[in-house]
Amino acid sequence: MSSDFEAYEQDFGTLTAEITNKIGRIPKLGGKEKTQLVLNVDKQLEEVRELMEQMDLEVREIPIQSRGMYQSRLKSYKGEMEKLEKDFKRSRIAYSDDVRNELLGEDAGSSESQRAHLLDNTEKLERSSRRLEAGYQIAVETEQVGQEILANLHSDREKIQRSRDRNHPEPSPGLRPRRHHPPHHHSGHLFQCARALISPNALTHTHSVSHTHTHKTRTRMINSDKSVCSGVIRTNGAHESLFLGPDRGLSL
Amino acid sequence: MDTSGKEKEAMQLMAEADKKVKSSGSFLGGMFGGSHHKVEDACEMYARAANMFKMAKNWTAAGNAFCQGARLHMQLQNKLDSATSFVDAGNAYKKADPQEAINCINAAIDIYTDMGRFTIAAKHHITIAEVYESELVDIEKAIAHYEQAADYYKGEESNSSANKCLLKVGHYSAQLEQYPKAIEIYEQVATNTMDNPLLKYNAKEYFFKASLCHFIVDELNAKVLLSLLMYEEMFPAFADSRECKLLKKLLDAHEEQNCEAFTEAVKEFDSISRLDQWLTTMLLRIKKTIQGDAGDLK
Repeated sequence: MSSDFEAYEQDFGTLTAEITNKIGRIPKLGGKEKTQLVLNVDKQLEEVRELMEQMDLEVREIPIQSRGMYQSRLKSYKGEMEKLEKDFKRSRIAYSDDVRNELLGEDAGSSESQRAHLLDNTEKLERSSRRLEAGYQIAVETEQVGQEILANLHSDREKIQRSRDRNHPEPSPGLRPRRHHPPHHHSGHLFQCARALISPNALTHTHSVSHTHTHKTRTRMINSDKSVCSGVIRTNGAHESLFLGPDRGLSL
Repeated sequence: MDTSGKEKEAMQLMAEADKKVKSSGSFLGGMFGGSHHKVEDACEMYARAANMFKMAKNWTAAGNAFCQGARLHMQLQNKLDSATSFVDAGNAYKKADPQEAINCINAAIDIYTDMGRFTIAAKHHITIAEVYESELVDIEKAIAHYEQAADYYKGEESNSSANKCLLKVGHYSAQLEQYPKAIEIYEQVATNTMDNPLLKYNAKEYFFKASLCHFIVDELNAKVLLSLLMYEEMFPAFADSRECKLLKKLLDAHEEQNCEAFTEAVKEFDSISRLDQWLTTMLLRIKKTIQGDAGDLK
């Protein structure tokens, strides 16, 4: 009897060695070979199971005294078999991974595609960083332009305030500004006023007023060029809209 | 346009005007009223002649004519007319003979300051300074005129115009290596502007420039660091700016005498906002001191 058991043990040993070998090879292969191997391993596992059953029966026939040793051996063999089955299952999962690769058409090229994918990502990142930097540069430039504009505005504001305060202090509402007007602010000399405002030093007006009269009024305008600015600001609506345009709200 | 014809006309007018002036001189005793009128006419004619020269683009002659008109106005005690004629003369000469232009404008400035019109005088100081800057390239005189203009503007309470001039003074003083002056100016302007909501965005730039000047003056970094801390305290926004970070990096590089770190930091700053000519010059000077020190160590 025990010799049968030992024969079974030997068979068990060889079978498990073969199965282990094949299980090791399964993940590396692909396609048909793999399927065949898998079937082989399946068959061998079946054989191993049968062997285990027969060993079991053998052990039962052994008299109880010497059963202990064989039983322990049997247990270890069972453990080994379970382990083999687990390995087999794991290798079969790798098998399914292979099938997936076949389905998705990337096999040996998978690592390559991963590399390309990563490079792509890096390039996208670099592009975005470059654009961010350019945006930042533009923002900084805009800030500088804004600074200049603000400085200009500030100085213009001071000039306007100064000329207004110096020449025409705030009139009370009832006071008619009319009599503060030098004669050339009246409608007949409107054109002259405009020229004076724009270029108080330009002496080449050309219009029909007589020669000496022009000279005198020019002098007077130059005398009070600031008052021309502010005087015009202070006069009636027609003048204002002519000279101040959209800045009307500024001085008033 | 018949410019040659205009020139001839202008010449004629000049000749006539000259004659009038002479004739009025001879009649001075008897017909004072008449000669007065004649001199006025002569002034008028000089002005017209000058304008015609301008049309003919004969700037020197135009300037000349304006000058003569101006002198006549002085005789007649028409200060304003005289001053304006001098200014016109200056403008005409600007295109031909800068030195003459400066002379004429100076004369105009004298008249204006005499009359107490400091704002206009300041404006003309700036014009002269610009001429010195660009055409005659005499930076010292330019600085002097800018300073004068700034003083006048301060007197007239136009602080932003004054600041503009002061900045130019600081700019050129630093270029001429008059660093203490530049530092003082930049600090002053920065403290003035940092409270003003319109101008405070400029303040950090001025602090930056002041710190750079400190840097050049002072090889030992203690003072620079101190001044930096002081500015940060005064004006917290400065601490966040890229300029402040750049300065700190430069300080470190200088302490370690590490030329490359210096260049690195400068390049990084430049990549975001270009360094203008003044900044480049200053930074180069600082860099040279680093390199010079490294050379000494060897």
